Amino acid sequence: MELRFLHLYPDLMNLYGSWGNLAILRRHLEDMGNTVTVEELRPGDAMDFSNADFVFVGAGTERSQKAAIEDLVRFGKELRSAADDGVAMLFCGTAMQMLGQSVTDAAGTYYMGLRVGAFSSQQGRKRFVGDVYGHTDLYEEPVVGFMNSCTLVSGIVTPLVTKLSLGYGNEKEQGPEGFRKNNVFASELTGPLLVKNPPLLRRVISAIYDRRGEALPEELPIYRMEEEAYATACRELLARLETE
Amino acid sequence: MKKLLAILICKAGRFVGKLVGRGSSLPGKYALRICPDILRQVTLPPLVIAVTGSNGKTSTVEMIAAILQAAGKTVVYNEEGSNQIEGVTTTVLTHCTLGGVMKADVLLIESDERYAVHSFQFFHPTHFVVTNLYRDQLTRNGHPEWVFDALSPAMFPDTRLILNADDPLSACFGVNRDNVKWFGLERCSISTETPSGVYHDGAYCPVCKSPMEYRYYHFNHIGSYFCPECEFARPFEIDYAATELDLDEGILRIGEGLTVHLAFRSIYNVYNILAACAVCRECGVPGADIAKTIDNYILKNGRMVRFLLGAHHGMLLTSKHENSIAYDTNLRYIKATEDPCTVVVIVDAVSRKYYTSETSWLWDIDFDLLNCEQVERVLLCGQYASDLAVRLSFTDVPGEKVELHPDIAEACEALKNNGAEDVYVLTCFSDRDKLLAHVEKEAV
Repeated sequence: MELRFLHLYPDLMNLYGSWGNLAILRRHLEDMGNTVTVEELRPGDAMDFSNADFVFVGAGTERSQKAAIEDLVRFGKELRSAADDGVAMLFCGTAMQMLGQSVTDAAGTYYMGLRVGAFSSQQGRKRFVGDVYGHTDLYEEPVVGFMNSCTLVSGIVTPLVTKLSLGYGNEKEQGPEGFRKNNVFASELTGPLLVKNPPLLRRVISAIYDRRGEALPEELPIYRMEEEAYATACRELLARLETE
Repeated sequence: MKKLLAILICKAGRFVGKLVGRGSSLPGKYALRICPDILRQVTLPPLVIAVTGSNGKTSTVEMIAAILQAAGKTVVYNEEGSNQIEGVTTTVLTHCTLGGVMKADVLLIESDERYAVHSFQFFHPTHFVVTNLYRDQLTRNGHPEWVFDALSPAMFPDTRLILNADDPLSACFGVNRDNVKWFGLERCSISTETPSGVYHDGAYCPVCKSPMEYRYYHFNHIGSYFCPECEFARPFEIDYAATELDLDEGILRIGEGLTVHLAFRSIYNVYNILAACAVCRECGVPGADIAKTIDNYILKNGRMVRFLLGAHHGMLLTSKHENSIAYDTNLRYIKATEDPCTVVVIVDAVSRKYYTSETSWLWDIDFDLLNCEQVERVLLCGQYASDLAVRLSFTDVPGEKVELHPDIAEACEALKNNGAEDVYVLTCFSDRDKLLAHVEKEAV
């Protein structure tokens, strides 16, 4: 297949190696015989999501997030219809909050969200940080990551990580984390989430194939080092969990 | 009475602590419990210098102390880097008379970025040096703008700020403020037209978030920036500017015709020297005297260690984990070398102070710098060797040069028995002893 990726705000929303998500997804899809083109879009650019196979927004500081959200609301309607239409998307870190009804900053300023989901975000002056170990309804294996957020996200009924045994979720410690709707995946877990979680990467690949109506090959590429890194994180966090 | 008791307890606690080799924050903690505002009740020296920032605090503090001491001043500073309020309290009280008068000309404090406002609630520094604000330890600090916001309330109007003009974020402390002196590096041999690194933290203006432009870069997003939208820019007049830098020859020229030879030819060292020079000039030390002390100055804090391993000459370049600029700087140092070498990267414990298995920061490091001819092999070591391998697989470093050695002892043994090329080791304080246990140290 010829796949068209949109990378929104690549140099504004780029904290914690978020770019790794796009890089690893691209590599896997290319190794499966697809051609991937990545279009980078910046504030002020026109955006058309209808022909996209994947839309990606990385993590940003709270201030960068406001600049991104003020730009992206111009295309709220288009983004909502793409989400309804099954376009695969990944919104990481503070970008996840943009998908809700609103984001309110620590000083009380209100920002209209993209309204893909029926949730809202309230930022504060304290950060919730810590390693995360949990499970998702999407597959058997654990989800690993690191939470670093100053925001309470309330109203999500379809989380990405459904159950947390360690760390902070959307609203509380050990509460559910992230957001999912159709093929839209969102999580505040920092950094290259898809690198850290090969099963989630495979799930996103499957969503991209689904949308195109293409059958997924029976065996997806497996990279030994990626699996080993994942196994290390799972082992370490599980051990951590047991000592707590 | 409480004041006397707090001082006595602190002094006694410190004395006992030193005997049993304990850290220096506990005595201060007890003193604060007895007398919470003890720091307000003591008489501080006329000069109180604080140093903060993501990178280079300890080295800068060491050089400031060396310069001021050479100029005949008595300097008290928290050498052990206990840089929160408890550590500061210990440092102050152990150097006080029982009447609460500090016996020194200068109190010099390395201050934690996030706790500065807490540490300085009872007294304000006369001078506050900010070396830089970079991505550092997201597991504690969040991100640089978060640290900026935490540090902001500690930038008291009566404190003279000594700021890095070339770092856009720390330069924001100087916006709409008079009481500021700037240090920086003018366009020179290392300047480039494009930024280096995996990410560009100067792409957008830290004040208004419009796209920012640069006249030149020195490294990463450090250079001469300006925002066409809100006119935020690197200050036009730099009070303490380096005008020439030759990293190959190790020569730095500062303002009024001072020449400094660099014992360690890294851009890092240059900015630390500039920060130290700036604040010492502000404290009245003549430029020539500063240059004399700082010329060929070898840091004693052991961030760089030379060693022997079998027939290999090695150099440990301590790089803070979770700090991509620290890694990038050392990777650039390796790239600038000429002789064939092996590079060892060790990530075993992400931090020595707290637990985390967070490895996102590896994706912020510009490992492509290792894609150069003289780097013959890259050994990836420690528990997170496979995370490193995944990261390296997204660079142009040829796969056949990369070897996995999760076991550090085994990696050292393998190196020892083979070859004689130079070895550069990149790792953090948390992991460096795991290497040093297997090598023979050499004098720097």
